[in-house]
Amino acid sequence: MTLLAWAIVILRVALPVLILPLFVVPLTWLERRGAALIQDRPGPNRVGPFGLIQPIADMIKMFFKEAITPTSADRFLYLLAPAIAVFAALSTFAVVPYGSTIKISGLEVPMLGADLSIGILYIFAITSLSVYAIVLAGWASNSKFSLMGGIRSSAQIISYELAMTTAAAGVILASSSFRLSDVIAMQQGTWLGIIPRWNVIPQFFGFLVFFISAFAETNRLPFDLPEAEAELVAGYHTEYSAMRFGAFQMAEYVNVMVVSAIMATLYFGGWSLPGFHPRGVLGALASLLIFMAKSFFFVCVFIWVRWTLPRFRYDQLMKIGWKALLPLALANLLWIAALEMWRMRA
Amino acid sequence: MIGAIPLSDVLLVSGALFSIGIAGALLRRNAIQIFLSIELMMNAANLALIGYGAALGTREGQIVVFFVIAIAAAEAAVGLAIFVALFRHTETIDVNESNLLKW
Amino acid sequence: MTAGRLIFDLAAAAAIVFSGLMVVGRNPVRSVLSLVVAFFALAVCFVLLLAPFIAALQVIVYAGAILVLFLFVLMLLNVGREVPDKNVRPIQRVLGSAAVLVFAGLLLGMFRHSGSHVPAAADPVDPAMLGDPAALARLLYSDYLLHFEAVSVLLLAALVGAFVLARREHAS
Repeated sequence: MTLLAWAIVILRVALPVLILPLFVVPLTWLERRGAALIQDRPGPNRVGPFGLIQPIADMIKMFFKEAITPTSADRFLYLLAPAIAVFAALSTFAVVPYGSTIKISGLEVPMLGADLSIGILYIFAITSLSVYAIVLAGWASNSKFSLMGGIRSSAQIISYELAMTTAAAGVILASSSFRLSDVIAMQQGTWLGIIPRWNVIPQFFGFLVFFISAFAETNRLPFDLPEAEAELVAGYHTEYSAMRFGAFQMAEYVNVMVVSAIMATLYFGGWSLPGFHPRGVLGALASLLIFMAKSFFFVCVFIWVRWTLPRFRYDQLMKIGWKALLPLALANLLWIAALEMWRMRA
Repeated sequence: MIGAIPLSDVLLVSGALFSIGIAGALLRRNAIQIFLSIELMMNAANLALIGYGAALGTREGQIVVFFVIAIAAAEAAVGLAIFVALFRHTETIDVNESNLLKW
Repeated sequence: MTAGRLIFDLAAAAAIVFSGLMVVGRNPVRSVLSLVVAFFALAVCFVLLLAPFIAALQVIVYAGAILVLFLFVLMLLNVGREVPDKNVRPIQRVLGSAAVLVFAGLLLGMFRHSGSHVPAAADPVDPAMLGDPAALARLLYSDYLLHFEAVSVLLLAALVGAFVLARREHAS
């Protein structure tokens, strides 16, 4: 392989890993200002114009905090948990296409980390591994609040993982492939000339299930009982301070961004728009901007919901996941299977 | 870029894993670790099956492993349920303690 | 030594090392975690053996669900701490080690003759498409449909069985 090919491979792999944490910084600003807007108060506005330097100040504060380790904690597992959380959050983005292809000196380079034949399955595999971060954090902290929070959170995540996977199965069925580039390819074109062929329209309930499960998977309100401040001190990250807590927060924000990107790709056509055929570098950049706009929309919805809805009680949460979302996702799967059979009747 | 993995290497690894699993199942008295060793043995068998599938150029290996994984999941669930029931009565996970036919 | 061989060797070595750690570890939680790493390494081996779908299943089902179940049981029953070794009977150790050595010897003897004449399949598949999920799905739902349905019934039975077994006995 030539040097250029190696450079391209390294860039494709390293770019999302390096860029995603950078996007966390403005995301924290957006969260705090968005919260303030919804709660009818100014929000941070002292540090720099409109409080734009606030996240930098927060980062500096977090760097200089004292990292306290509980004495009876299992030290190795205690330090491993935030590492697993960050690793899982960043790795999930490897298969998400963030743009169309770019031509670099004759080579067609698709804009994603790796176009695996098992794309969507890879995402669920990495999500399954992220459960370990929470379970280990809860266990290794050797504190009752942490253990309760860790067990609750992991039970919540694996329950909603089921509904999420079944909803995604509908998308897989419609695209006849696990590859995310195939999923986007199946969403090209329009119905009746104006309605884009996005998966959200035939699979609206599947999208609803996926959307709600995404909140549960990322531990965001209304599903954040495991880390609820008032109920469980801080759940599984009670005993974590300074950069280790920072790592968990970063993992949570990266998860929000990645799951928004996945929703945009699976249900809203990813980087494509009907009638838009990207040509050359400008076309690729345009597709990147379209992708970012769609993901950004979902990130804003995440923030909006967080500060609007109250928290679910734990038994309500489990009830919704198993008794409402899973049957709805299965019904969606049956509906999509019927649609596919009707489409293939010729 | 991916070269073919010779079958003998795969079988060697599978055999080593299986031996480690047997050692764990026979030499440990901790119910959980015995169970884990059994899971390890099943994975060693899976590796051998996949290796043969790749060497022969057939998909049967992967299909069988698919079913083995599903059955292992079912077995793990039931086994752990038995373990939980046992633990509630004997308060220990040492299998040597459960040496009577009733408790 | 291509990149594929190298990665396979590393992953296989990691699987063996972490399985060994699992067997000799005293702390059950650490044993489970060592096995998670071993299973992940095995998934990497599966990818290199042209079975990416099975590798994904291995991580999702084995490393991501079964072992999480193990961890849950350990944590909820609070048996995660070090397990002391009382009343060890030496004869168990001796017989167990002897059995392991005999078995390992048998396996080694068999492997020296394996791989020498492996017949090719009736219609060999193009290696790049060997692990194609669509082709696997087609096989599953045509030739192996009965097996598939039987396993679903088995999973249902296991579900009900696990629930009944782990239930607390109520006096009423």
